[in-house]
Amino acid sequence: MDVRSPDLREPDPEAVETLADGEVGHQEPELEADAAAAAEQRRQRRFLFTALLRSPTFMTGLVIVLFWVFMGLFSTAFTQSPTSIDAMATLQEPSAEHWFGTDDLGRDVLARTMAGARTVLYIAPLATVLALLWGSIVGLVSGFYRGITDEIIMRLVDVLLALPIIITSILILSLLGRGMAIIIITIGALFTPPVSRTVRSAVIGEREREYVMAARLRGERSAFVMAREILPNIKEPIIVEGTIRLGYAVFTAATLSFLGFGLAPPSPDWGLTIATQRVFLQIAPWAVLFPAAALASLVVAVNLITDGLGRVFSK
Amino acid sequence: MLRLIGRRLLLMVPTLILASMLIFALAEVLPGDVARSILGPYATQEQVDLLNQRLGADRPVYERYVDWAGGFVTGDWGDSLLFDEAVLPLVMRSLGNSLLLAGFALVLIVPTSIAVGVFAGLRRDSLLDRGITVSTLSMTVIPEFVSGVVLLYVFAVWLKWLPVTALPPSGSPFVSRFYYLILPAIPLMLLELGYIARMARVGTVQVLAMPYIRTAVLKGLPRRRVIFGHMLRNAMVPTVTVIGTQIGWLIGGLVVVEVLFAYPGIGNIMVQAAKNKDLPLLEASVLMVAILYMVSNLIADIVVALLNPRIRMGG
Repeated sequence: MDVRSPDLREPDPEAVETLADGEVGHQEPELEADAAAAAEQRRQRRFLFTALLRSPTFMTGLVIVLFWVFMGLFSTAFTQSPTSIDAMATLQEPSAEHWFGTDDLGRDVLARTMAGARTVLYIAPLATVLALLWGSIVGLVSGFYRGITDEIIMRLVDVLLALPIIITSILILSLLGRGMAIIIITIGALFTPPVSRTVRSAVIGEREREYVMAARLRGERSAFVMAREILPNIKEPIIVEGTIRLGYAVFTAATLSFLGFGLAPPSPDWGLTIATQRVFLQIAPWAVLFPAAALASLVVAVNLITDGLGRVFSK
Repeated sequence: MLRLIGRRLLLMVPTLILASMLIFALAEVLPGDVARSILGPYATQEQVDLLNQRLGADRPVYERYVDWAGGFVTGDWGDSLLFDEAVLPLVMRSLGNSLLLAGFALVLIVPTSIAVGVFAGLRRDSLLDRGITVSTLSMTVIPEFVSGVVLLYVFAVWLKWLPVTALPPSGSPFVSRFYYLILPAIPLMLLELGYIARMARVGTVQVLAMPYIRTAVLKGLPRRRVIFGHMLRNAMVPTVTVIGTQIGWLIGGLVVVEVLFAYPGIGNIMVQAAKNKDLPLLEASVLMVAILYMVSNLIADIVVALLNPRIRMGG
């Protein structure tokens, strides 16, 4: 029997019937095979999990990131206020009262450094999620339909990548104004092309597989095949791509706020703080160096997670 | 070879046109009312109308685009609103400054990272190798302004080995400019060092396993001749290729470093223009950066082709 009808999107009814007949005949072993496959999947997932727990790279990164998440959420409960100004105590060096010293407005650098995690930890993950969402949709459509759709989408992607991302975001943010939502959407949109490229190439690797063909023969709609059949099978490259993008998103968000296109003062954001305090580098280096060290630790930690995850997946 | 370059140059034309459309769309169409986005919410409607008229923003979009693009091609780039000067000489002067910095940085980056990579590759899997790989790769993910500000503190403020500014006092000989550019160039180097060194290391490890290296060693050539005469050339190809893929980040880094060191380059001018909504200057400098980006990509491709006879001959 030939189950391959010439046009897969309109399955030959006879072929579908034979296929269905075959299924009915072997229902039990099929179910067993399903159960075995599910068990295998569970086992693999558990293996992956323990492998991650055992990876020192991944765990170091995770601990540092969790530390900053905790600080971003709760630091104001046990530090001084990150925004309260003290005109009598400006640019003081580290002391028992102010462990990290004070900045040009007499604000406590420790409190600002701890609270500074918050903005970047909002912006980067949300921008990454947006990029993954849009990039997956674009990549799925592009890789699934191929042909002229693919051609047009990929040319558009090329145009968006014709400029360095930092330049495009400066152009957008300078005229649309500063605000958390605009920054998130801008970074998300500019990270969509690279994500869609990754997803597209993964989809192209999957679309000729039997399970895709079977779903088409069952007469499933394209949207269903893409979302429910192909997507679960390409989640590994998407997760790895996501963690890579997350690292870049932290980098980009911090850079934009350093350049003055991020949040407005008095936000304790690290990039912004470094930009505003760097003129005092000669007399009060602590106001710059502590936020710089904090930012460095966060970006390195995110990249350790990426590295650990990538290594476990590639095994 | 010439045909390759010619074809690539021709391909640049449509990309450039698309990029210019993207820039124009982002700068003038996306914000809606151009003059309103420049003047802010407190300007009166008359002021807004007047500026729109002066900028020609009350005409249809395609007409404005053709006008702007035509002006760019014929050298009529308009006047900067911020600097009260014609845009063309301003952009060209800043571009020259930027090229000096970028060129100097590349002169530092390429030999240093290749030396580091080859060094690590020759001591493959030793503790030193792993240490080099981990530390250089961590440096690549740290934003340039973070490493830049730390370097500024250590070498300019604390040790006082290098000047704080990026420009010598006027009247100094040209050569002294390089002394002032050392500090700004290092963050750019750190940004690229990890990737390039890693490629050089992989290239070295691969080449070391080749029979012709074994032959060279067995026939009793001194170690230095094997490394410099036989190995380096082949280990170079992946290295140059990766430099090509990093140009976008290098340009982003250039913008950041210029802002950090208050260096009058095209990136700094662009950020100033963006912050002050100086549209003529912003559009021209972004387009110039786009051209710079494409030309550098082309040069990288040509160098790769020159190093690889298979591409060179194939045309």
